[in-house]
Amino acid sequence: MSASPIARQATHSQAIPSRKVLITDPDQMPDVYSSTPGGTIYSTTPGGTRIVYERSFMMSLRESPISKTPPNCSLPAAMLKNPSVAQQKPSKPVQKPRSNSISFDESQETFSMDL
Amino acid sequence: MAGNNADEVEGSAGADNKSNSVAEVPPEFLIKHPLQNTWSLWFYDNDRTKSWEENQIELTTFDTVEDFWRLYHHIKLPSELRQGHDYAVFKQGIRPMWEDDANKMGGRWLISLEKKQRNSDLDRFWLDVVLLLIGENFEHAEEICGAVVNIRAKIDKIGVWTADTSKQQANLEIGRKLKEQLGIHGKIGFQLHRDTMVKHSSATKNLYTV
Repeated sequence: MSASPIARQATHSQAIPSRKVLITDPDQMPDVYSSTPGGTIYSTTPGGTRIVYERSFMMSLRESPISKTPPNCSLPAAMLKNPSVAQQKPSKPVQKPRSNSISFDESQETFSMDL
Repeated sequence: MAGNNADEVEGSAGADNKSNSVAEVPPEFLIKHPLQNTWSLWFYDNDRTKSWEENQIELTTFDTVEDFWRLYHHIKLPSELRQGHDYAVFKQGIRPMWEDDANKMGGRWLISLEKKQRNSDLDRFWLDVVLLLIGENFEHAEEICGAVVNIRAKIDKIGVWTADTSKQQANLEIGRKLKEQLGIHGKIGFQLHRDTMVKHSSATKNLYTV
């Protein structure tokens, strides 16, 4: 139900997730012929386009190498598990090269090139 | 792809051999798994010099299973937060506030946890609630707005917010699933935001219980 295309090649086939839509009145039918009840104009089956993951599958990804990398956003220290580690991220030596380039001697000929 | 049968057979045979070796990385670990929705992580800071609304901070968004785990691994568990703090996970674009257009007509399933449950149940319930949400495990997942966990002195609370209180069938399905998946034995109640707004939450009457 929740495996990716790559996993499907490596594992057994799985049931397509579906959703039952109970129709009790003709008024509940979609007014677009290409749509199924509960579906969309893009000819999807009911619930067929929704990406569903079961808990066990998401838990199996918990310790994957990607899941273990630090998040790329800055978070308040009050909510960080280990503030000292996360605090390393927002260090900003970015401005430095710029100040160096400003001290470049402007009196030099701008376009002198040795070919 | 269709013409590559030979390759596929070879590939799967190779995979079988390699699965015996411990160092092999499972194919599921090489890719990120997209979620149906993009979700925002909110943090309520409880800074007394700020208004309630200013204390609600939208920290970041995530739209893959792996990006959720990256955050989860690096932030405190609810039981490790200070009293007065909240986490909220909402669909992107919906603020964790009654006043938001997406919440105005809505309500919440409320799970109240006694203090002794902070160590036993709180973190597990919160993780399971978030996984139910982002994995789109509710039949009426389109009715889900988000979830909040409040860390408080007496009773910690987890609320699952839905969009439209008039959709009885959808709300009941969400409540039953929630109760079943978390393994809650007692009753949980559903409250209208507009009732919670005017009364203290413990006095708010339940529209439904399951």
